[in-house]
Amino acid sequence: MAAATVLSRLSLIPNLSSKPKSKPNRRTTTSVSVRASFSDPFVLQLAESLEDSLSISPSSSSSLQRIRDSSAETLLSTPWPSRKDEPFRFTDTSFIRYSQIEPVSRNSTNLENLNETHFPNAVIIDGFVSNLTIGESDLPKGVYFGSYSGLGEELTNRVSEFVGDFDSGDLFWSINGIGAPELTVIYVPVGCKVEKPIYLRYFAGEIGDQETKRLPVSNPRVFVLVEEGGEIGIVEEFVCRDEDGFYWTNPVLEVVVLKNAKVKHSYLQKESMASAHIKWTFVRQEAESEYELVEVSTGGRLGRHNLHVQQLGPDTLTELTTFHMCVNEQTLDLHSRIVLDHPRGSSRQLHKCIVAHSSGQAVFDGNVRVNRLAQQTNAGQLTRSLLLKPRATVNIKPNLQIIADDVKCSHGAAISDLEEDQLFYFQARGIDLKSARRALISSFGAEVIERFPNREIRDQARNHVKGLL
Amino acid sequence: MAGVNLQLRHGYSIAQFVPTVSSPPPPRVVRLGISPSRVLCCNLRAKIAAGLTSRRLDTVSVSSAVDSPPSSDSLTEDRDDKGRIPLLEVRDLRAVIVESRQEILKGVNLVVYEGEVHAVMGKNGSGKSTFSKVLVGHPDYEVTGGSIVFKGQNLLDMEPEERSLAGLFMSFQSPVEIPGVSNMDFLNMAFNARKRKLGQPELDPIQFYSLLVSKLEVVNMKTDFLNRNVNEGFSGGERKRNEILQLAVLGAELAILDEIDSGLDVDALQDVAKAVNGLLTPKNSVLMITHYQRLLDYIKPTLIHIMENGRIIRTGDNSLAKLLEKEGYKAISG
Repeated sequence: MAAATVLSRLSLIPNLSSKPKSKPNRRTTTSVSVRASFSDPFVLQLAESLEDSLSISPSSSSSLQRIRDSSAETLLSTPWPSRKDEPFRFTDTSFIRYSQIEPVSRNSTNLENLNETHFPNAVIIDGFVSNLTIGESDLPKGVYFGSYSGLGEELTNRVSEFVGDFDSGDLFWSINGIGAPELTVIYVPVGCKVEKPIYLRYFAGEIGDQETKRLPVSNPRVFVLVEEGGEIGIVEEFVCRDEDGFYWTNPVLEVVVLKNAKVKHSYLQKESMASAHIKWTFVRQEAESEYELVEVSTGGRLGRHNLHVQQLGPDTLTELTTFHMCVNEQTLDLHSRIVLDHPRGSSRQLHKCIVAHSSGQAVFDGNVRVNRLAQQTNAGQLTRSLLLKPRATVNIKPNLQIIADDVKCSHGAAISDLEEDQLFYFQARGIDLKSARRALISSFGAEVIERFPNREIRDQARNHVKGLL
Repeated sequence: MAGVNLQLRHGYSIAQFVPTVSSPPPPRVVRLGISPSRVLCCNLRAKIAAGLTSRRLDTVSVSSAVDSPPSSDSLTEDRDDKGRIPLLEVRDLRAVIVESRQEILKGVNLVVYEGEVHAVMGKNGSGKSTFSKVLVGHPDYEVTGGSIVFKGQNLLDMEPEERSLAGLFMSFQSPVEIPGVSNMDFLNMAFNARKRKLGQPELDPIQFYSLLVSKLEVVNMKTDFLNRNVNEGFSGGERKRNEILQLAVLGAELAILDEIDSGLDVDALQDVAKAVNGLLTPKNSVLMITHYQRLLDYIKPTLIHIMENGRIIRTGDNSLAKLLEKEGYKAISG
């Protein structure tokens, strides 16, 4: 738990000491975590090349510009993370650092044979929306799904109130902020329940070269605002044509769930095994709102999901169900943080991982912070890991930080191989050990996959996992 | 006594073998691996196993009573003088818990002939359940001596899944939950493993479903039972029914029912007993492990064995169970 204390000192206490939304605070946080460091020339160079790559792109929207300015400011004093930084203690980002990082150039790759989907969807290639398909009856009136620049004045103002207002990000959050070429917005008006989920399909179009270490980086950014009483499902899928594609996807998703609204978020990460995928999901939840995440991540030489859920009002419900599977020489990392500042919040988290390669590594840092005013919180966290090969590694750090005194909190962690008793049960019915293992491994992930609210996604995830095993 | 000759499996059985050899059993017809009805089931592995065993025998058979090594081609039956065909022969079986090396079975002898129903009774801790687990090859136990011959094959040479495919079925006393695997998928896997073994075409889920529905009636269960995960959230009664459903679907020449009656109400017990009786044929045998006379009222045993301290100390007919019910184990062990 000593480690947890360090973590809190670095990034959480500033949050408490002042109002979360005030602007100066953003600076404070940044400087706290890097007080002793100077500008990192490498980061500055990267920031410059990202800025240059965008100077030609026609984005002068005020919100995006604001994000860029504040990110640039942050990057001035943020060094590239090392293993000495607590949030990256177990996560080695050096292969990105020592590659020739280049911003993607916009060239519209044609994607043939896209899987059919009947959901309203956007195809986002290298961070640029290349195709937006919305059927006539797909979205109710008032729902907006498209580019930020296409918003009317009223909505622009409404959305701008929330966009980019986050002070606990890291270097990668800021890199996205400075490098995002566009902002895709999903807006759900008051009381509107959207039946069909919106499907965001992210493709890595530009592939680098492992030999020369040319690593194209893309920075897709999506913002979701669900007004009071609204409901929507968001599906994110990350893929690459090339199984060994060498690239870096650095996406950000912001979700604002206002009073009594509901968001069901499905996230399927199937990047190539040579890529880097570092994602930020930042969720704000107003009173009585619900946010549910179901995640399956399998891709990336380095795959990391930074998930921050901030409670803005009482009686919220947060459910996080995630499954990471390493079948290669790869690191998959979930850094989640739920910050509860209001009474009667309820959060349930289940994180499962399988490491099926002797050089595979899973990392989980699950932080639940129950602050002074968050009385009668009910927070549960469980993580289970399967290590299937000798030397396979998992580093987990479940941590509850509770200040309120009237709460119900639980956490548990289990790391094991497959259960002998279960294997024997299969054998006793004539099923050989290999098939039994396979069935048990896929059933381990099935617990998470079954939670995807849409059948199409469920089947897709199931087949994908089966294919990898 | 052919079983004795088949017992040389691992290094550890040599020590057990020597005393047996020093007092040779009376010569008798050599037991054949495969009876005519079972030729179909004979797979390559069994042949290889038989071959290996016979080779080993050659080196140690000096004082053995065997006239010729077993041959899978010959078809003579090993009927006893009453014309019965032995299905399971257990000789002087000894077993320890792998972890603690504590000896639980201390020389069990038992022969089950085709078509017979046997009941093993005994106090808690007498070794009944261990016995049934050892028969199916549970990894928690290690056999340190003696032999188990099932249908002429040395069971100790076989992996648990091979024992199952050979026709041995054990219903678990407390079956484990397997979250994420549906009952239907599990049964389908097991069923197809059996079909593969028999060289018959496997059934896809739709074909298999129609087969299953008829079997569900046997155990008086609804079809939604199939979509649930194996034993997950099942009540005690449901778990037992599920075991019998598996038996009904997979079939078995020898069904070992380990306390199939524990935790069942009268209705469920009758259902289960009815299902088991329905599965009995003149060739199939049942070995029941139980604490109570109650089960024996529904499934009539040919013989009852009383187990104590890792051995079978008494064998008799139904009157033994009645005596037990009346006077307890004192009447028998005394």
